[in-house]
Amino acid sequence: MNPTAGRTLTDETREAIRAYFPRYPTRQAALLPALHVVNERLGYVPPETVVEIAELLELAPAEVQDTLSFYGFFAQDRPQGRETVWFCQSCSCAARGSEGLLVYLCEKLGIRPGQTTPDRRVTVRAAECLGACDSAPAMLVDDVLHKDLTGEKIDRFVESLNPEP
Amino acid sequence: MYQPVLLANIEKDNSHTLAVYEAAGGYRTLRRVLKEMSPAEVAAAVQSSNLRGRGGAGFPTGLKWSFLPKDHPGPIYLCVNADESEPGTFCNRVLMELDPHQVLEGTILSGYATRASTAYIYLRYEYPLSLRRLQQAIDECYRAGLLGKHVLGSGYSLDVYIHRGAAAYVCGEETGLIESLEGKRAWPRIKPPFPAVEGLFRKPTVVNNVETLACVTHILDRGVDWFRSMGTPPDPNDPRDPGSFGPKLYCLSGHVSRPGCYEGPLGLTCREVIDEFGGGVWKGRKAKAVVPGGLSTGLLTAGELDTRLDFTGPVQAGCLGLGTAGVIVLDETYSMIDFLHNSCRFFAHESCGQCTPCREGTRWALEMVERIKAGRGRIRDLELLLEIADTIGIIPGTTICGLADGAAWPIKNAIRKFRDEFEDYIRRTNPAGYGVTEPVPALAGSSLANVH
Amino acid sequence: MAIVIIDGRELEIRDGERLNGIQAAARLGIEIPRYCWHPGLSVAGSCRMCLVEMGIRAPKTGEVSMLPKLTPACNTPMRDGIVLVTNSEKVREARARVEEGLLLRHPIDCPICDKAGECRLQDYHFQYGQSRRRADLRPFTSRRRDVADNVTLFVDRCILCTRCVRFTREVSGAGELMVTGRGAHEEIDVVPGFPLADKLSGNVVDLCPVGALCDKPFLYRQRVWYVQQHAGVCTGCATGCSTWIDENQDRVYRVRPRENAFVNDWWICNDGRYDYAHVHSPERLVQPLRRDGKSLVELDWTQLPRELDRRLREAGRLAAVLSPFLTVEEAYLLAQYVRTIDRNAALALGPVPAAAEDEHFPGGFTIAAEKCPNRRGVEEVIAHFNGAATSLDQLLQQVQQGAVRGLWVSGGYKNDWIDPPAAARLARAQLLVVQDLFPSPLSQRATYVLPGAAFPERDGSYVNRHDHLQSVRWAIRPPVGVRPEGSLFWELQGRPGLYNARTVLSEVAAQIAYFHVAREAIPELGVNLKVNLLAGT
Repeated sequence: MNPTAGRTLTDETREAIRAYFPRYPTRQAALLPALHVVNERLGYVPPETVVEIAELLELAPAEVQDTLSFYGFFAQDRPQGRETVWFCQSCSCAARGSEGLLVYLCEKLGIRPGQTTPDRRVTVRAAECLGACDSAPAMLVDDVLHKDLTGEKIDRFVESLNPEP
Repeated sequence: MYQPVLLANIEKDNSHTLAVYEAAGGYRTLRRVLKEMSPAEVAAAVQSSNLRGRGGAGFPTGLKWSFLPKDHPGPIYLCVNADESEPGTFCNRVLMELDPHQVLEGTILSGYATRASTAYIYLRYEYPLSLRRLQQAIDECYRAGLLGKHVLGSGYSLDVYIHRGAAAYVCGEETGLIESLEGKRAWPRIKPPFPAVEGLFRKPTVVNNVETLACVTHILDRGVDWFRSMGTPPDPNDPRDPGSFGPKLYCLSGHVSRPGCYEGPLGLTCREVIDEFGGGVWKGRKAKAVVPGGLSTGLLTAGELDTRLDFTGPVQAGCLGLGTAGVIVLDETYSMIDFLHNSCRFFAHESCGQCTPCREGTRWALEMVERIKAGRGRIRDLELLLEIADTIGIIPGTTICGLADGAAWPIKNAIRKFRDEFEDYIRRTNPAGYGVTEPVPALAGSSLANVH
Repeated sequence: MAIVIIDGRELEIRDGERLNGIQAAARLGIEIPRYCWHPGLSVAGSCRMCLVEMGIRAPKTGEVSMLPKLTPACNTPMRDGIVLVTNSEKVREARARVEEGLLLRHPIDCPICDKAGECRLQDYHFQYGQSRRRADLRPFTSRRRDVADNVTLFVDRCILCTRCVRFTREVSGAGELMVTGRGAHEEIDVVPGFPLADKLSGNVVDLCPVGALCDKPFLYRQRVWYVQQHAGVCTGCATGCSTWIDENQDRVYRVRPRENAFVNDWWICNDGRYDYAHVHSPERLVQPLRRDGKSLVELDWTQLPRELDRRLREAGRLAAVLSPFLTVEEAYLLAQYVRTIDRNAALALGPVPAAAEDEHFPGGFTIAAEKCPNRRGVEEVIAHFNGAATSLDQLLQQVQQGAVRGLWVSGGYKNDWIDPPAAARLARAQLLVVQDLFPSPLSQRATYVLPGAAFPERDGSYVNRHDHLQSVRWAIRPPVGVRPEGSLFWELQGRPGLYNARTVLSEVAAQIAYFHVAREAIPELGVNLKVNLLAGT
C-alpha cells in the first residue's frame, strides 16, 4: 500500500543531510536544511524524496510535506530553471516600477510569473521584499542581486541568458 | 556631529574580516567582559540601558532576558532573528554583509549574559552574501577561539549555527521563528508559555534582532550612560515608558534621491531622515505619504513628517509604532489605492493561516481592494475594510501574533488619512455601483490565486 | 482552593485541579463556544471563537481590573482571582466576527452535508452569528477526496481547526494528516500513498466540528435528527469503550465513542466503531427451531420456555457453556437456572477469541487482545457456582464420557467460533440447546436452535480487562423471532414480570464478593470493582 521508498536521494545527498544532525537536539530541526540540500541538488523537491527525507529524519511523510508546503519556496512538480529569478514586488520596489518591469521581463522570456522557460534556462517568480529597498527595483538571481533595474538592464539580463552560438 | 557606531566600519575594505574588525578594536569588549563581568552584571547593564528591540516590537531587551528562569539546568538557546522581511527594511543585511563580526560579538556577549549554550542565526534565504560573510566570520571565530568550547579560554562555551529560512515573513515572529527552526510549519505559538520559559525545543530561549545584538557590544564598550545620552528620554507622565535610547539604523527607500541605510540617534524626525540623509523627495516632487517603520506600521501624511522616529512618535501620529525604522517615501503622483493593494497582497500572502481573523480577514481585505482597484468598488467597502482592520490583531487580542496588526495598520491609515482619494477613486471608476450596500459578486480570479 | 468569577458568579476550584476558562465556565452551566479546543488534544488557540474578557480581582481590595484585550478561554488557566466575562458586547462582537470569517468561504452545503443537525458551525451561527452576509458573493466549491478507506474529506468545508491533525500526531501517533499550503490556501491532506491507515482513524470524524471529515460507512445514510442515541458499551474487545448507539426504528446507523475518563477517554477504535454490521445481517438466526430426527420444526416463543424446561429436567445431568459475550446478569441467571436443575452441572467458559497481543497507541489508548467484552465477568460468575470454571476441554471430555445428557450453549459470537470436529463432540449430548447469533456447525447439530440477541439488544453489565463494570440498557428491539438471553433466562427461572437486569445485578452483588460494589446504583461511566473492593475492605 505504501510506495516503497526508493533511492532517489544519492548517498552524497544523504550524507549532506546527516551532516546537520549534530547541530540540533532533534532530527526534525534538520528538516528545513534537508529540504534546501535536496532543492539545491535536484532543482526541486520531488514527492518521492519526501518519503526518503521522512525516513532519514524519523518523521511521518506528512510532517515533511506539511513543512515543505508552508513555504511555497520549494517546487515539487518539476525542476526549476538553471537560474531562478526572484523579482521583488513589495512596497519600495513597487513604488519604483517593479510591477511593470516584471511584466516586461516575463514578456521578453515568453512566460508568466511562476513559470520556467521551455529550455529550462530560467524560472521567474514574484517575490516579497528582498531587503534590497535601497536599490529598488531589484531582483535576486540565485546569489546575485541585480539592482536599480531599468528596461535596459532587463534587456541585458535576458541577453546574458542566451547560450553562446 | 553624530559619529556612527554601528556603521563605523562598513566603508573599510574587507570590513567583514576578523583582521579588519580586530584592528578597529573589535572583540576587546568581549575579552574584557569575560574577564571582569559576570553574566548577571552584563544583563544588568543591558537592562539599565533600556535598550529596546530593533526588530519591530520594541520590547526592552534586558526585561526580556530577565524572564529566563534563574538556575535552569539548561540548555538555554539564543536565536538571532536575521529573518528581516519587513518591506522597507534592510539594515540587518547591511550589518551582516559589511560587519558580521559586530553582530557576532554582540551575539557572544548576549549569549554570555543569558547563559545560552547555542545560538542559531535564523537567516532569511534571500541574503546569500550575508550567508557567505556570516559563515566566514563564524569560521574565523572558531579558529581564533572566539567561539566553541571555552571562548577565549574562559568558562563560557558557545556554538553558533546559521539556519537558513525559505521565504516566509512570519518566520520573523519570535515563536514563528522557533517553530520553523524546529522543522515545523511556522505557525506562531500561543502565549503563555513565553519563549523565555518554554521556547526552542521547549527550553528557555531568547530571540533577539541583529541590530539589537550589535547594540549590546557598544553598551558594554562605551557604557550605559553613553547609550542613554542619545535618543528620547521617557515621558515623565508615563511611569511605564522606558524611553527610546541609543543609536538607530534608519532604512530609507522609495521616492527619495539617496535611498540607503543611515545611522543616527533614535528620535530623528521623519523629515530629517528624508532631507538630511536622503537628499529629499526625488525628482523635485513632494511627499504624499511616508511609511515610518516598515510597511506594517502604516502611513504618515505629508503634514506629519515632523513625527519623531522613536518608540512613541509614530504611535502618537496614529501609526503602529517605530517598527524597524524602515522609512518608505511615496510622492504626490503615487496612488494610495495601489499602495493599499500592494500592502493587502503582501499580508494575505504572508498570513500563516492559523487564526481565523487574520487568515480570513487578510484575504477578504485583499479581495475588496482588488475589486475597488478594478473599478467595482463601493463606499461601503471602506467601512468594511476599516472594521476588519480595527478588529484583527494582538492589540484587540483576537489573533495569536502581531502579523494581523501589521496587516491592519496600512488599511487603517490609508483609508482614514486618505479618505478623499479612496472615495474619489471609487466614485469615478464605479459611477453606477459605488452606493450599493448589498453584497456584490466577487471579482473572478483573485491575484491571491497566482501566488504560492 | 481558588475562586474564579465568571459572569459575576463565583466558582470554587480545588487545589490540584487544572481547568481552563472553558471548563470552569461549563461547571457553572455557561457555554463558551469553541472549535479547536478539545480536552484530549494539545491547545491550539487558533479558532479564536472562545475569546472572552479577562481580568484580575485584587485579593485585598476586591477591585477588579479588566485587561483591555480579549483572551482565549482555552489557554487561560484558572487561578485564584481570575475574572472572566463571557457575555459582554465585546465578546459577542468577537464571536460574530469569527463566525463571519469562517462563513466567508464555507460552502453552504447543509442540505447535502452529513453534519447538519450536529454541526458546530450551524449551531454557533444561530447562537452567536449575524443574520446577513456582508462579503462578496461567489460560487462555492465543494471538492472531495478520500483520506482513508473509511474517511472522506470535503476539502472546502474545513475550518482549519487542526483537531484532526493533532489527533493523528498525539493520540494515534501515525501522523498521517497534515496541513498543506499557507494562509487562506491551507487545506487538510494526506501524502499520496500514505492514507489514514491506523485503527483509530474513525475518531477524526467525531472530532471534526463541521462536515469536512465524514465517515464513509455512514455517509448519506441517515439524518442525525432522526436517530436516537443510547448509551452502550462496545463488545468488540476487553477494553470496553463506552459508546453512543445511534438508531432509528430499531436499526443501528452509527456507533460513536462516549466520553469516559475511566475507560476510553474520547476514543474508540475502528473495529468497535464499525462493529454493528452483523446486527442487521440477513444471515442472523431469527427462527427458533427443534430438530426431530432429520426434520426441523419451527417453534414459537409462547410455548418454548416450558418445553425447554421440561426437556432439561428430563435430561437431568446438565452442563452449560457461557460465552464471554454474555452480560454478568445473563450469565448469572443461566448458571443459576442450570444449577437448580442439576446441582453438579458443569459450567464452562466459551471460547475466548483473542489476537496475539494488545495494541497500544501513543496517546494511551489500548485495543485489547481479548476480542470479547466480558470474560472477567462471566468467569467470576462461573467461579462462584463452580469453584473454578470447567475448561471447555474438560467439558468436551465429560460429554464424551456420557456424563452430560443436556447441554446448553449460549454463544452470541459474531464470527465463526467452533469447528465441525468440536461441534461434533459437543453434539454427543442427547439434548443440545444452542443459543447464538449465526448458524454454525454446532447449531446445525443442535436439538434446539434459539436465536440470541446482538449487543444493542441486551440489558446488562460488562466487566472490562481493568475490572471496570458498566451497565447498559437495550438500544434496539431485536428482530421478531429473537428472544434476548436475559428475558429468556428470567422466564425459565419462573420469575414473575419482565426481565430486570438491575434486580439481578443486586443479587449478584450480594452473592459474589467480586461484584460487591455493584449493589449501589451504577454510575453512567461505570465503576471499578477492584479498586472499590479494596477500598471497602
